[in-house]
Amino acid sequence: MTQIPETDLDTNGATDAEGAQAPPSALKWLTDRLADSTAFIFVALLAMILVFTVLRPDAFATVNNLRNIAIAASILLVLSIGQTFVIGTAGIDISVGSMLVFSGVVASLAMAEVGGGQGWASVGVGVAVSLLAGGFWGMVNGLLVTKVKLPPLIVTLGTFGGVLGLAKVLTGGINLRTVPNELVNTLGIGRAFGVVPWLVILALVLTAIFGVVLRYTRFGRYTLAIGSNEEAARRVGIDVDLHLLKVYTLSGLLAGVAGIMNLARFTNTTIQGHDTDNLQSIAAVVIGGTSLFGGIATMFGTLVGVFIPTTLQNGFVILRIQPFWQEVAVGAVLILAVYVDQLKRRARNRL
Amino acid sequence: MKHTRRRTRTLVALVAAIAMIAAACGDDNGDPDEPEAAEEEVAEEPEAEEEPADEPDAEEETEEPAEPGDEMFDITLIPGVTGDEFYVSMECGALEAAEEFGVNLDVQGAPQFSPTDQIPVLEAVIASGPDAILIAPTDVDALQAPLQAAVDAGIEVVLVDTTLSDPSLAVSQIASDNLLGGSLAADALGELMGGEGAALVVNVTPGISTTDARGEGFIQGLEENWPDIEFVGQEYSDNEPARAAEIVSAVLAAEPELRGIFGANLFSAEGAATGIRQEGRDDVFVVGFDAGPAQIEQLREGIVQALIVQQPLDIGYQGVEQAVLALTGGENTFEIGTGFVIATIDNLDDDDVAPFLYRSDC
Repeated sequence: MTQIPETDLDTNGATDAEGAQAPPSALKWLTDRLADSTAFIFVALLAMILVFTVLRPDAFATVNNLRNIAIAASILLVLSIGQTFVIGTAGIDISVGSMLVFSGVVASLAMAEVGGGQGWASVGVGVAVSLLAGGFWGMVNGLLVTKVKLPPLIVTLGTFGGVLGLAKVLTGGINLRTVPNELVNTLGIGRAFGVVPWLVILALVLTAIFGVVLRYTRFGRYTLAIGSNEEAARRVGIDVDLHLLKVYTLSGLLAGVAGIMNLARFTNTTIQGHDTDNLQSIAAVVIGGTSLFGGIATMFGTLVGVFIPTTLQNGFVILRIQPFWQEVAVGAVLILAVYVDQLKRRARNRL
Repeated sequence: MKHTRRRTRTLVALVAAIAMIAAACGDDNGDPDEPEAAEEEVAEEPEAEEEPADEPDAEEETEEPAEPGDEMFDITLIPGVTGDEFYVSMECGALEAAEEFGVNLDVQGAPQFSPTDQIPVLEAVIASGPDAILIAPTDVDALQAPLQAAVDAGIEVVLVDTTLSDPSLAVSQIASDNLLGGSLAADALGELMGGEGAALVVNVTPGISTTDARGEGFIQGLEENWPDIEFVGQEYSDNEPARAAEIVSAVLAAEPELRGIFGANLFSAEGAATGIRQEGRDDVFVVGFDAGPAQIEQLREGIVQALIVQQPLDIGYQGVEQAVLALTGGENTFEIGTGFVIATIDNLDDDDVAPFLYRSDC
């Protein structure tokens, strides 16, 4: 868990801001991690895996099933990376699922224009268009939050509905099915060395990169400084508006990446399938220990937070528990995770 | 001191988490309904898994007629969405058949009608290794590869209600003839309207094979049999009653001649009726599709005048029957169309209609 106490800001913002702090030793890093609530949630995930494995070793703990869990989590994970940064600034982005759908729709339209929807050129154009579209809507969110000074909840609630509506306008509400085989056979169903799906590798690589960005770079420290105390961040010379614009744009860009992953996996734009992506990503980020009030965020927590609902769902189906219990369990985990986080914070404030 | 406290807390929370999972399982066991039977079967699973391995041999050598009852096959039904009365009724029919044929039936599904939600459920079901899967695919293409994986794992697949682009991987597909259902709706509405005025379709969302066919059947039926009725168009409710109500209010304002609405599914008809009531009109007729408790209520109140009722119980029953046939080496019927019943306020309680109304539990 990374936190920027307000008292640090004077030195941090002015002098340290130029370069990344040297990473602490691996051992210290590990002990730090185990002492915080991310460790709790990680242990909870391991406990779930253990319980499911003991109850149905033949079905749950197979390479194939664990691979399916990882694939099911991968797209939500990419959305949740951006969400972690946004919530880290004490903002919120409920438009992620809509940006994903819009990106996928315009990418599919663009791919149909190039090479008749097949070939690597088509894939390249599709990826570029998807990133541009996602980044564009993210930037619109950022501009509305910083320049028009509207609350992030309202801005992204507006784009949540509006951007999805535009995607439906472009398609007449009918899912587009133009996805090049080159994309489906590699990113969609392909596996590195025949074992690890490329969807999972892409999601994990992005998580690792942005985990480092969040923890060890100026970009990450600015993010948490703004979330901790926006006014203080402004006074020490951080261009808060510019930084928030970058954070919301990043969230949109990652939704664009997720849009391509979604096309590759489902071979169509699945317009109707992303209404709750926003709530799922917010839940994952919060379960992972990121504070909804900003200033505290951890990418490792988000990774675990994404896997908990996915693993629960898979395990519950395998144990043949009535499907509604999964929703109950995820809700309980969310509340429990936030409660544990609160306990920790209270304990820390007393010290 | 600080660390000890932390560790204790972590431990307490961990125990709570495990207890929670255990409680979820335990509660389910305590329920006096069907999941209990499925639960118990988990322990016997390894046994059951060996049986289908022997099955193909038996099929080739002896070709004996199906003798269910000795077998305890595991069949999982995956509806398009959980908590929908149409699919619950299908589940009831499937349970009835499961009892009759002596198989274990489990039901697993996602809370949204979407491949993004359904595929992870399907994959977990495949991992749990049932003998057969009954599924209502939520997308004609996206479910193709995951269901092929089920077939490759030796699981028999039966498609119920909806279908795939290439259904040949399934042993059977069972659904209502929705084109016919749509034209039946046109006839029912045409009669109510006395053959004149304007008519509107409130459909769900484009791209769903079943509801698209209903809309198409309605438009065809109107063109063929009711030349004096003006067709004003097809609108989409996104399966939200509130949206359907808004559409109907708006169209009523724009088209004063509107006398009839066909609501192509549960929520579309429910919302259309709400929209009419909101406008205080009593000269606009609504024909709905499906017969959930909400529609029956509206039929009784006179807000909806006729319902085109599918036979989900029959779909579920025949789905299990086809799965059992496939598992016991019997001969499958590849395509089965189930019929319709038209319910009105006058025949609602008759013996030839009442059993077909949808149920919210079995």
